[in-house]
Amino acid sequence: MTTAPTTLGVTDSPANSDEARRARLAEAIGTVNGILLGKERQVQLAFSCLLARGHLLIEDLPGVGKTTLAHALATVLGADYQRIQFTSDLMPADILGVSIYRRDKEAFEFHPGPIFADVVLADEVNRATPKTQSALLEAMAEGQVTIEGSTHALPDPFFVIATQNPLDLVGTYPLPDSQLDRFLLSISLGFPDPEVERELLVSEDRSRVLARTAPVLSPRDVLDLQETCAQLHVSDALLAYVQALLAETRNSRWFDIGLSPRAGLALLRCARAHAFLEQRDFVAPEDIKAVFPGLARHRMTVSHGLEASVEDQVDGLLAQVALP
Amino acid sequence: MKHGRMRQGLHNPLYWVVGTLAVALLPQLPSMAPHLVAITLLPIAWRTLAELRGWKPLPTLLRLGITLATLVVLVGTYGNLLGRRAAVGLLSLMLALKLLETYRARDARVVASLSLFLCATQFLFSQGMLMVVYGATCMTGALAAFALIARREAFAVTARPAPTGRGLLGELSFGSRLMALAVPLGLALFLLFPRWGSPLWGVPERSLDARTGLSDSMTPGTIQALFMDDSPAFRADFRTGLPARRDLYWRGPVLWNFDGRQWQTDFYGRRIEADTLPDAAEAPYVYEVQLEPHERHWLFALDYPAIKPPQAQRLTVDYQLMTRRGITRLTVYEMASDPDFIDSPDLRQTFRQRALQLPEAFNPRTRELMAGWRAEANSDADLVRRALAHFNQENFRYTLNPPLLSRHSVDEFLFDTREGFCEHYASTFTIMMRMAGIPARVVTGYQGGWYNELGNYVLVRQSDAHAWSEVWLAGVGWTRIDPTAAVAPSRVERGAIDALGERRFLLDYEWLREVRNGFDWLNRAWNDWVIAFDAARQSSLLGFMGVERLSARTLVALLAGAMGVVALLLLPWLLRLGRHRERDPVVRLWHRFLQRLHRAGVPVTVSMGPLEVAGATAGHAGIDPDEVKRITGGYLNLRYASDVQGRDVLIRDLKRFRVGRPS
Repeated sequence: MTTAPTTLGVTDSPANSDEARRARLAEAIGTVNGILLGKERQVQLAFSCLLARGHLLIEDLPGVGKTTLAHALATVLGADYQRIQFTSDLMPADILGVSIYRRDKEAFEFHPGPIFADVVLADEVNRATPKTQSALLEAMAEGQVTIEGSTHALPDPFFVIATQNPLDLVGTYPLPDSQLDRFLLSISLGFPDPEVERELLVSEDRSRVLARTAPVLSPRDVLDLQETCAQLHVSDALLAYVQALLAETRNSRWFDIGLSPRAGLALLRCARAHAFLEQRDFVAPEDIKAVFPGLARHRMTVSHGLEASVEDQVDGLLAQVALP
Repeated sequence: MKHGRMRQGLHNPLYWVVGTLAVALLPQLPSMAPHLVAITLLPIAWRTLAELRGWKPLPTLLRLGITLATLVVLVGTYGNLLGRRAAVGLLSLMLALKLLETYRARDARVVASLSLFLCATQFLFSQGMLMVVYGATCMTGALAAFALIARREAFAVTARPAPTGRGLLGELSFGSRLMALAVPLGLALFLLFPRWGSPLWGVPERSLDARTGLSDSMTPGTIQALFMDDSPAFRADFRTGLPARRDLYWRGPVLWNFDGRQWQTDFYGRRIEADTLPDAAEAPYVYEVQLEPHERHWLFALDYPAIKPPQAQRLTVDYQLMTRRGITRLTVYEMASDPDFIDSPDLRQTFRQRALQLPEAFNPRTRELMAGWRAEANSDADLVRRALAHFNQENFRYTLNPPLLSRHSVDEFLFDTREGFCEHYASTFTIMMRMAGIPARVVTGYQGGWYNELGNYVLVRQSDAHAWSEVWLAGVGWTRIDPTAAVAPSRVERGAIDALGERRFLLDYEWLREVRNGFDWLNRAWNDWVIAFDAARQSSLLGFMGVERLSARTLVALLAGAMGVVALLLLPWLLRLGRHRERDPVVRLWHRFLQRLHRAGVPVTVSMGPLEVAGATAGHAGIDPDEVKRITGGYLNLRYASDVQGRDVLIRDLKRFRVGRPS
């Protein structure tokens, strides 16, 4: 790809060139893969989600590397990283921040909460009460926080990684569908392969590896890359395929309710980022198919009376819809 | 198929199976005894309700008990299970009962298949044009059921619901499309499958429901019953001019013997061959008769038949045309008639005796009256005229609802009730003549007919059945006398329905009869082209090409050829069925490329993107990875990237691609 000046009008200095950014991105991905072993697919999806300006939901059991992934991402991005452990007594103010009266200034002063970071890890997001959950999710949707009448912009890029445990549901408040929709992708990590697990067991502790990892990308880089991704070409044939997929999700033999047009837009956005990571300047059907399961997983429920999982249904659906 | 899974409205194959069975049963039900109809319909209703309400299957023992009980009832009704009706009744009942245990795909399939078999058995009873519609309906339903069952089974292992298709119309159009595919083959089989001159197995003579046509006996009410039946008896296609309507007396059974109540044919009359026939070459009326099956032994002809058709075993001395077997299929024969022929200028003593025979001690009043008339009459002809005048001038009425008569039926009719149908008049007149010493007999048959201008033929319905008399007069032989005509002249001028002036049933309207008579033209064409297509017609199939006779062997060869041609013509279409034709040549070639890979054992599907396809071919013998990479890369670029170059190269590559060619 030729080096086109970025839309931000930055001069074409070597460090700022498109190619250099791509190289840094590749390095960042490599670094994360070096930390979270054997999860290349998930890492790629996580980066797709980041580049598509989305937020990521990780649904998995404790101890498979959810936090490590989030932490590694934050580290290579050179970003401000905050982790919020969601509990049932967590209040919205604990996330968003509070205004405190300062006697010396005779005024309220806003103390930003942990959400004012580039990368936020919301651990066990379903343990908090709906009130707290919605505070987080509103912030994610709007990119800003309004407290006592004053609006505070959240940093840009702003990337939320939320995790939840799909099995241990005692004392949780499941996120409603409308709020799940705020997450662009949902992934699950799964247990590592035997070889990877072996390597994990013998190698150095992950937190120490993390500790000496240096940032590779700057938030500025992320913004530029996000801009580039959004420009990727989408052909008519691909749009036809996307439409066919969306139409098929609305067939009651798979799911209760099909994907919304908003989900369709998200699908394209995510596929663009995925294509970019695959070094293409156009979106291929494979990009759609790669991100589709992650996109559909948390948005869909299987039709009533069927004993299939959403994953099964998504696989079946993808195998069913012919490329136009 | 899981129990709870079958409930999905119209896409539930069970409803289709039940529907198919119900349609297949339709023509069977009217001829079944009412209690058997109830036993047949009950399981169908139960199973439908069970599906709607989610009832569990009945216990096995109960089902067994029901089946055995039904068998007992069936045998009790029919006596045995050998006749056609009984056998088909057994099939219907068992099939309906089978529904009780139809909870799995296998059973559903069995019921749908056997429904088709049941549908086929109905052709044993009727081969009319409506049966085509009936057969097609059954077939469509069964095909839709089969498709739904197959789809459901295919998806049973995937734990996913079967695709729902396109709703009711989609299912039906799928079935009709399959049938349309079979039409050319069916046509080839119909035309070319070798036919035998006679049926392969003997059809029992009285196997139909013995409901149609005239019989060899007549009691008051016999013809009246036929009068209610509007089904066609036969059609006559005149080669010569048409006789006047009042002269259209179609001769059937001739009745000689009277026992006080019932008229019957005569043993000699049935057995002795006529010794003289009218000269066929001189006969003024020549026509072809297309006789509907009526299970009896008579062919019908105008007075007096001059030809003995090949189907007839005997042209009897009283000019009945009799066949050896009951007529169970459409029979077509050429006929010529001469109305001026003199039947028996001399009456043999045996026949004179039989034509005068009367039971003793019946009808004393009539006997007395006739003795008086005899004394006053100058000649036999005078007496006949007097009797006719009596019917004409006295207050006699032609009616469909005559009062019941008891022992001295003639006396009561002649002096008291004076209301009757043609059989009353014919019977009474004949007895009167016999009492007066004039040889007389009753002739039954049909009178009149409806001239169909469209097809230029005369249609005679069962409702045209009639009875008249014949008296033997010296010099003119047997002479037809129709006493009904003396009472109600319009009976012979315009037909019995007009003469009666009353409606026989609720929908008995003039215009409706006209429409139906007009439509009969279609029925005749159907008879002509389909039913009457027999071995003889088949062997002369290629007559127009100069081939005189086709042997069975030639027919089989032709059939094989025709089937081959049909298959060849349909094959490309069949292969393309369910796949829409792609406009863009690149995409078309791409699909062909996928097909070639698929045939070579590469697990590719149409839902795969170009890159996935490239990945799937990796490591397959006989496939050049570079070539595949070039093709898939080119296709990916052309279809999904923004540049549109390389189209021609890609088309060339796609066309050139073969699996297994050493590169």
